[in-house]
Amino acid sequence: MALPASEVRAQHEQQKKKQWSMKYMKNKLFRYVCLFSALFLGIALFSIVIFISQTGFLVFKDVSWKEFFFSATWEPYEGKYGAAVFIAGTLYLTFLTLLISTPIALAVAIFISEIAPNWLKNVMRPMLDLLVGIPSIVYGYLGLTVLLPFIREKTGALVGDGFLAAALVLTLMILPTITRISDDAICAVPNYLREAGYALGSTKLQVISRIVLPAARSGILTAIILGMTRAIGETMAVVMVIGNTAQFGWDLITPTSVLTSNIVMQIINVQFHSTWNYALYMMAFLLLFISLVLIVIIRKLRPKGE
Amino acid sequence: MKSLFKKLSFVALSSALLLGSSLGVTEKAEASQVTGKVVVAGSSALLPLTQQAAKEFKKANPKVSISVSGTASIVGPQSVSKGSATIGACDWDATKPVPGFNAFKGLKAYPIAVIPFATIVHKSNPVKNLTTKQLQDIFAGKITNWKEVGGKDEPIIVINRVHGSGTRVNYQMKALKGSAFMTKGENYKEVQSNGNMIQAVATTPNAIGYTDLAYIKGDIKAVAYNGIAPTVQNVTSGKYPVWGYGYLLTKGEATGANKAFIQYIQSKKFQQGSLKKLKFIPITAMKK
Repeated sequence: MALPASEVRAQHEQQKKKQWSMKYMKNKLFRYVCLFSALFLGIALFSIVIFISQTGFLVFKDVSWKEFFFSATWEPYEGKYGAAVFIAGTLYLTFLTLLISTPIALAVAIFISEIAPNWLKNVMRPMLDLLVGIPSIVYGYLGLTVLLPFIREKTGALVGDGFLAAALVLTLMILPTITRISDDAICAVPNYLREAGYALGSTKLQVISRIVLPAARSGILTAIILGMTRAIGETMAVVMVIGNTAQFGWDLITPTSVLTSNIVMQIINVQFHSTWNYALYMMAFLLLFISLVLIVIIRKLRPKGE
Repeated sequence: MKSLFKKLSFVALSSALLLGSSLGVTEKAEASQVTGKVVVAGSSALLPLTQQAAKEFKKANPKVSISVSGTASIVGPQSVSKGSATIGACDWDATKPVPGFNAFKGLKAYPIAVIPFATIVHKSNPVKNLTTKQLQDIFAGKITNWKEVGGKDEPIIVINRVHGSGTRVNYQMKALKGSAFMTKGENYKEVQSNGNMIQAVATTPNAIGYTDLAYIKGDIKAVAYNGIAPTVQNVTSGKYPVWGYGYLLTKGEATGANKAFIQYIQSKKFQQGSLKKLKFIPITAMKK
């Protein structure tokens, strides 16, 4: 049974229209799905900042700015909320960790990218990736059972907990992160720069220190800052080896405390809506603030056009 | 946003009322069959007990929905006051003030088990007995060498639980008679849990700490208190004073399924059976 040609055409046309509108719908829908996913992330971050800061800043109703930031007496059950020990502790621990880990990480990165033969590169890189993935509690446990007795024996410390133990555990944790990213940055340095160096008669050391490292500088800085954010936020491994005592531990082997370890030790044990609770939130906000600032610095450091 | 919340809470409230009234009707209709919801939150020390009880109670009363969790003692009374749990488990009587915590008003406490605590040292430590005064001075940082209490010439390392731990509250009240802990020093550190406490004392030859009696094994040993060994027998006979009740707390009198659940834990069958197996001491064993 044949339909008149005009009708066939009309039907065809209609179908085409339908298809087109379907496509249009799909495209629109897809766009919105993407948009909302992005928005969702933004909202999540925004609400975290708002929530933490809102609760945290309540602490200043009962505690003065001066006391919170500059007093070293943290005795919440006595109404004393000086967080200076924890703030200074976090900065000191991070500094110490970077001091130990950066030279080692750089040396390993240079070795992998510039010196090691190919087969060794192929072993080292997956190995470092595996190290990045080890849960922090495992590092903490190792620190507790192996490192602490060792430190006690070698230094004559009474307890062994303190900045030294924490910095060593953190070093082990962030070393692979810094190494892998620096390694990538060094490998990204174009070969013609190296060849030019050799052509002018440079030694290998000169090429690495005068040409490759300066060229990879921003990538290496990113690596260090990423390692730093990990060190600042690390909680589980630190809490097991730091000693959790609110006192300064400049000599490295006195039990002390940092922001993260103090929060995780106390947060479940305090009453809601108490100054103590607010003080812990404020400490969380400080942590968030520090790492946000660091991330902004990373963005700024990145060379233009990348 | 606020109006949305209002609407939501109105819906929740009205549905709760509806549900509640319908429950009330069925309760009258068939008194033997217990229904309802039991949510237990709080102490992790009591968690094995409440978990076991929940399992058995659920078997006997399949219509009750019951969920059990454990974080920290203070969470128990807090979540009951807030309404996020119907029963709060706590290592101390939260209706009364204890060192570091205020009393919670409007709660009712039901003792469900006796938990003994003991002072612990490393196995190699020759000290066998410590008096109340000696313990007070050690934990306050006044006695700093084992030789002062009859041990080796070695520094004492004090390991303490974090503030808010139920074990710490009980130990401070019962063993130290409320005297204060030291808060700093190079021979002092705080740990997060019973497990960490044992780990720390077991790996530190000159350490002193305290824990639940049931946890003592391996490289740690319990020290006698004023000449009395920490044993279950000495606890029940009233000689050894360092123990506390574990409590379940409800908002006002317990009712319905919650009442039945607490009664089940306090029943002779559970106290003499599963509770003993889990190394707690039945409340009925105490001679007052």
